[in-house]
Amino acid sequence: MSPVGECITAFIFGSVVGLLVQRSRFCNTAALRDAMLFKTYRNTKALLVAMMILTLGFTTFLTFGDGKPLHFDVGLNQVMGLFLFGIGMVLAGACTVSTWVKAGEGNIGAVWALLFTFIGMFLFSLLWSFSYWPPAPGTMSGEPNLAGLQLGYANAATLQEKTGIPAVVFGLVQFAVLLAIYRAIRRKETAAERVKAPAGQGAGAASAGAVASRND
Amino acid sequence: MELFKKTLDPVVALVIIAVLDIFMFLTIGAWTVGGGETMMTGLIAQLFLGDELSRIPFWELVFPPDPGYWKIYISLGMLFGALVGALMIKEFYWRFPRHLSEWVMITVGGLLMGIGIRLAFVCNVSTFFGLTPEMNLGGYLAVSGILAGAWVGSLVYKKVLEG
Repeated sequence: MSPVGECITAFIFGSVVGLLVQRSRFCNTAALRDAMLFKTYRNTKALLVAMMILTLGFTTFLTFGDGKPLHFDVGLNQVMGLFLFGIGMVLAGACTVSTWVKAGEGNIGAVWALLFTFIGMFLFSLLWSFSYWPPAPGTMSGEPNLAGLQLGYANAATLQEKTGIPAVVFGLVQFAVLLAIYRAIRRKETAAERVKAPAGQGAGAASAGAVASRND
Repeated sequence: MELFKKTLDPVVALVIIAVLDIFMFLTIGAWTVGGGETMMTGLIAQLFLGDELSRIPFWELVFPPDPGYWKIYISLGMLFGALVGALMIKEFYWRFPRHLSEWVMITVGGLLMGIGIRLAFVCNVSTFFGLTPEMNLGGYLAVSGILAGAWVGSLVYKKVLEG
């Protein structure tokens, strides 16, 4: 695809995502935070369903060598980076998606979060320019590099290469794990509804959850 | 249209997004936001610093500013799509954080998100919608990191809410 074609496709994809996220009030931050703080799982379930579909889709195509997976080496910097990100997203009340979506709804707090995300990135670019760590994708070797806390490149496609077992088989295993988590959440919800229903609070609890996610 | 009357079930929204994301995976690359935001940071910094920016190795070696980088347009699209969605159901209005504590939390949160993305080279979207479905081992590391971070963040958030 030509570079202009890529940009147009990306814009159309982004627009549909923005519209759907705005209309559904999905939020990745809420998917994690609400499950931990309020024991409500509206967004968590949606996230799990998407991951199940993507796991099957991606690993099926990877089995045939199709698709464009991210060529990022596995590194301990990913744990540290997403740990900081996880704290940040809960404090800011928005992740990378919802900052853009909320900014589109006129939320100045989200614009402020974006501004400081940019400033954070710039600050880290200065630090990187001294440390040259973590290795940039261009210089990732794909091989383990313990001095750089890098463990090499490993995904469903490399598993297939090493074991001869089709990538989609591993995908099915991951799908089953995600499905088990989803069903555990559903069981928990059903049990909670049964406790609340006789007192006539079932509907109330459900709408309180919706308000909590509305106020992200 | 049903879509513009009531709130859409997030499961329905995410199923559509997942199918489209598979199409993206096959053509350009899976859904991601952090890379586009980094490129925007570089372009904005270039507006202020001009050619001086290339003296900072990161912007010379890793992200040379390029307005033709496709990932930027995913973010701009999300902004546009959300604006259209909000306008169509008259949900667009200016909202400001009311308390000083909110401004402080958003500022610190934004900085941590920016630093975290650059340290990990991935954002939450590539973690959940890219790396992990590709079964990249880094995706699992990133998921453990974000879960631990969200837990610590929730403790702080609770403290501030109750405080």
